[in-house]
Amino acid sequence: MQYMLLVHVDESLIGKLTPEEGKANSRECFEYDRELERRGKYVASNPLMGPDTATVVRMREGKLSMHDGPHVETKEHLGGFILVEARDLNEALDIAANCPMAKFGSIEVRAEMSLEVEERAP
Amino acid sequence: MKFLCLIHAETTVLDRMTPAEREAFDRDNLAYARWLDAGPGVAGGPLDPPATAALIRARDGHVSVTDGPYPETKEHIAGYILIEARDRAEAIEIAAKCPVARVGTIEVRVAHHMIPDDRTG
Repeated sequence: MQYMLLVHVDESLIGKLTPEEGKANSRECFEYDRELERRGKYVASNPLMGPDTATVVRMREGKLSMHDGPHVETKEHLGGFILVEARDLNEALDIAANCPMAKFGSIEVRAEMSLEVEERAP
Repeated sequence: MKFLCLIHAETTVLDRMTPAEREAFDRDNLAYARWLDAGPGVAGGPLDPPATAALIRARDGHVSVTDGPYPETKEHIAGYILIEARDRAEAIEIAAKCPVARVGTIEVRVAHHMIPDDRTG
């Protein structure tokens, strides 16, 4: 089963790192991903550009509207994500607890919903 | 270039649809998912409701787990699509095709590869 780990980052914590500490943290995150890969738990992951670079897209009555984001202003912002393959929620929580970024914000763990859509002939 | 499209929607949005509307909506979503699979899609899918979320924090070596979601909002993250697009304009075009854009909000964010400055360590 796939779980989405949403990485919410607290700028006030990560902002305290020196450039060397920042670099060490990036390396730790990279190693964390590779370790998940070795264990067959890794699906995808990416850090995201800052929330001020987000674009919010809506379609209403066939008309497209766009504005600069983020969609929700929060103290912690969504700084990245990790998609993992885990046996159950416990294993997903365990994986999240070992993520280096858990020290600088909150990791939100969400199970992927299985969509049951009937196959229909076109 | 990769973009993450965050799909924000109200939990009640599906409940407010008539059975016919729901059927058409599901069909549109399936067609959109197939189109993504054959083209710009990398990964994606709906997520379980926010009430099922767990939040993990590690502070001073101590891990805490609390029930989520983070944050509490009218619309929540209902799903995501990771896509490969030429630029932001193309990513927005792809996001605008998502059926949920009609009833919710799609947030488009540039996704980076994690490449540390020093990989020899």
